[in-house]
Amino acid sequence: MRRRTGTAYGFLAPYLLIFAVFWVWPIVYSFWLSFLATRQLPWTFRPAMTWGRLAVDPAFVNALKNTLLILVVQVPIMIALATVLAVLLNSSLLRARGLMRFAFFAPVVVGEVAYAAVFRLMFTADRGIVNKVLEAAGLPSVDWFSNPTAAMALIIMAVTWRWAGYNAIIILSGLQSIPDDVYEAATLDRVTPLRQFLFITLPLLRPVILFCVVLSVIGTMQLFTEPFLITNRGGPGGATETLGLFLYRQGFTVLNFGYASAVAYTIAALAVVISLLNLWLGRERA
Amino acid sequence: MTSRSSRRFWRQVGLHAVLGPLALIWLLPLWMMLVFSTMPENGIFSPDIELLPKGQFWANFQELQAETGFLRTLFVSVVVALVTTGLSILLTSMAGWALVRYRFRGRWLVTALIFGTLTLPYFVVVIPQFIMVARDMGLQSTWFALIVPPLFNSLGVLFMRQAFSMMPGELFDAAQVEGVKEWQIFTRVALPMAKPTLAALAIILFLASWNNYLWPLLIASDPTMMTAPVALGTLIGFTRVSWAAIMTGAVLLTLPMIVVFIFLQRFFMSGITAGAVK
Amino acid sequence: MAGVTLRGVRKAFGPLQTIHGVDLDVGDGEFVVFVGPSGCGKSTLLRMIAGLEDVTAGEIAIGGRVVNDVEPADRGTAMVFQSYALYPHMTVGQNLSFGLRMNGNPTADTERRVAEAARILQIGPLLDRRPKALSGGQRQRVAIGRAIVREPEVFLFDEPLSNLDAELRVQMRVEIARLHGELGTTMVYVTHDQTEAMTLADRIVVLRAGRVEQVGRPLDLYDDPVNQFVAGFIGSPRMNFLAAESLGGGRVRLTGQGGVEIALPVGRGLAAGQKAVLGIRPEHFEAAGQGDCDLALVVDVAEHLGATSYLYANTKAGEPVVVQAGAARSAQAGGRVAVSIPAGRAYLFDPDGLRLA
Ligand SMILES: Nc1ncnc2c1ncn2[C@@H]1O[C@H](COP(=O)(O)OP(=O)(O)O)[C@@H](O)[C@H]1O
Ligand SMILES: [Mg+2]
Repeated sequence: MRRRTGTAYGFLAPYLLIFAVFWVWPIVYSFWLSFLATRQLPWTFRPAMTWGRLAVDPAFVNALKNTLLILVVQVPIMIALATVLAVLLNSSLLRARGLMRFAFFAPVVVGEVAYAAVFRLMFTADRGIVNKVLEAAGLPSVDWFSNPTAAMALIIMAVTWRWAGYNAIIILSGLQSIPDDVYEAATLDRVTPLRQFLFITLPLLRPVILFCVVLSVIGTMQLFTEPFLITNRGGPGGATETLGLFLYRQGFTVLNFGYASAVAYTIAALAVVISLLNLWLGRERA
Repeated sequence: MTSRSSRRFWRQVGLHAVLGPLALIWLLPLWMMLVFSTMPENGIFSPDIELLPKGQFWANFQELQAETGFLRTLFVSVVVALVTTGLSILLTSMAGWALVRYRFRGRWLVTALIFGTLTLPYFVVVIPQFIMVARDMGLQSTWFALIVPPLFNSLGVLFMRQAFSMMPGELFDAAQVEGVKEWQIFTRVALPMAKPTLAALAIILFLASWNNYLWPLLIASDPTMMTAPVALGTLIGFTRVSWAAIMTGAVLLTLPMIVVFIFLQRFFMSGITAGAVK
Repeated sequence: MAGVTLRGVRKAFGPLQTIHGVDLDVGDGEFVVFVGPSGCGKSTLLRMIAGLEDVTAGEIAIGGRVVNDVEPADRGTAMVFQSYALYPHMTVGQNLSFGLRMNGNPTADTERRVAEAARILQIGPLLDRRPKALSGGQRQRVAIGRAIVREPEVFLFDEPLSNLDAELRVQMRVEIARLHGELGTTMVYVTHDQTEAMTLADRIVVLRAGRVEQVGRPLDLYDDPVNQFVAGFIGSPRMNFLAAESLGGGRVRLTGQGGVEIALPVGRGLAAGQKAVLGIRPEHFEAAGQGDCDLALVVDVAEHLGATSYLYANTKAGEPVVVQAGAARSAQAGGRVAVSIPAGRAYLFDPDGLRLA
């Protein structure tokens, strides 16, 4: 191929222009912002008001704790569920395959606002359908929006409902790239299906599952709409306040851009660190 | 023989005993969205468990329309999603093409920059984006603000780069030897061959734009420029509009996507899994 | 119509030199074939002529005009690719006319050229089909047709037949030869198959690792290779090579044969005791006693094709030897045969592969 720098940049120009203006510059600018005290004009260089404040701000620590809690509980549950779903949906014994897949995959296309609205309505404490069902089954109804633990559980359920199918799709495509003869050979060797799953499927799926974990970590670190809309701005009393919501509040309610930028960089750094940690834990051991 | 087929039978029963109820639970929120949207308000909160649709959708929607001008927000959403998708496809496929077709100075750097942002949380850029567009440019609640900043996405480039690199390079060399201009090679040879990929990408981009919430929430607070999700979001948790009316909005946002999903499932799947294959 | 001239042409991909200075004159109307093992730089050289690769150093001229900085489309060349490179979303007709249409060629002229190409290649009935609906041979014709339509001064072919099965390959080979006869245009043709080279070329350029080993007419290369590489590459089955040692005075001993000696006019310049390699083509062996030096062989595999037979055999020292013999029908695997080397048909190379005689 001939070297054609001019032509190449001709094709790249519009994209790179948008990239430079709306991404590169903001990334640099927000880093600079994260050192500025922005509560009053003029903005001044005072990292103590941003980075320094992070460690001592109980609201930030609360949001961090909540986010990590969701991360530790929700991500493993969802990935495990998605893996099982993918394997079951891939089974040759399955009837009504199209309908089954639709049930789990359809949430992928549902917008955050629409599903937040439905969940909020379904889980209404007083005569919401979930509580009606619980009572009909003889169980106590749950005060989903004023009990901190229940509210957190609600967020976890909602996110799992929305994203399990998405991850199952990815894992399913990984499954389908495993050649059938591997399983045929194992069957001839009298390896039971459960053992086939544990010792053949799971190891072969490891890279795909890791990919899903990393995606989910990045997503969870930015969780915003669910606590914003479902549990009414992180309620009750900040019990479901996430880092994303905290950032939104600082940036766009209080308009403290400097502090919010420091939070944003903290989120990015945590996402990178946790993702790398996952990749390291799940690495191929020679 | 019998033990073998009976084992198979019980395995099949077990499979459906697990998946069936789970599938019903998974379908419930979508079904209830539909049911709620057709109920009178007192039906939603009646003491009975109501699982079947009633006939109130139109009345509920009229309430929503009267309170929020929802049709206008739907119109904004459609325009934004269409234009964003079209432009984004053009930009990302041009960029993907350049990365595959040409050797040029800075190629490595450009590639690394673009894909380095794949895993970058959006929150890192949203604050300066907002400051720039809303304050410095003074473009709050404009089409420009809704459409242009979200145009950048690495996934599209990744996707198109993948598609173009699967095509034999000799094809483009052949056109080049024939004197076809590079832009024409791109539009007349490469793009038509990438149609399935373009379709998948278009669906994913449209969906992302249609459901986008945070950026329109920040940048378009003017009622005439609100997108439908933002407008609907303002109603949740306040008693200005009834829940049944809100649900009609949710249905209008969701149903078209569900229909597209049913008919173009293949493209959705390849769009979602594209990121997973490097 | 135009010839092609290469002067000191070099190519480097980054730090890696691929073409190490090639000088060549392709005459107007000549059919020149680049042949060499895969990876030796044939395609790279051809793509430089086409303008698809930059020339790192040296000069390429087409029709007397230096084209180093001329766009591929303006060089008066047309290229046929190994993968055919047909546009899958266009019909055969659209494939043929695409380049002309994109360059604003008058419609009437485009149609005339397409019709002419279709006539020459007999693909008229295929014009409305998509490439997917064509057989390999038909695709190949369309690819060639797309080159013809350009009415180029030089045709460039990059292994155009390598994706075809054996029978079609022979057929298309004849077709390309006929095309050259009909058009009389300069053609540069790349292949790793020496049979194609021998049958098609006016002149063959043998390449190895980015260098020209020898240029010449097919039979000249066969009769008079300048080194062991060319000798081994041209001719099929390939030439046999036997370890040898000079005895001085024009005599050479085959070391693998435990002292069999042969007088070659050759060896005169060689000091006694110097190592050498003796080459003899499979088709040049004679019956035992009739040549100048007998060889005792153990047959490994015998292939009897009727008109001729191939014996895959070993010398005492285990050197593999292929013998082509019309009269060896009785030879069997595991059996012994004796053959003889006529001194006049033998070649001698020094240990570096250079031809001595
Ligand atoms: N674009 C390229 N970048 C780096 N090396 C290349 C490139 N194209 C070819 N080469 C190298 O140049 C050598 C010659 O390649 P090529 O001309 O394709 O050989 P041939 O056609 O004779 O089989 C090979 O070693 C190949 O690896
Ligand atoms: Mg080649």
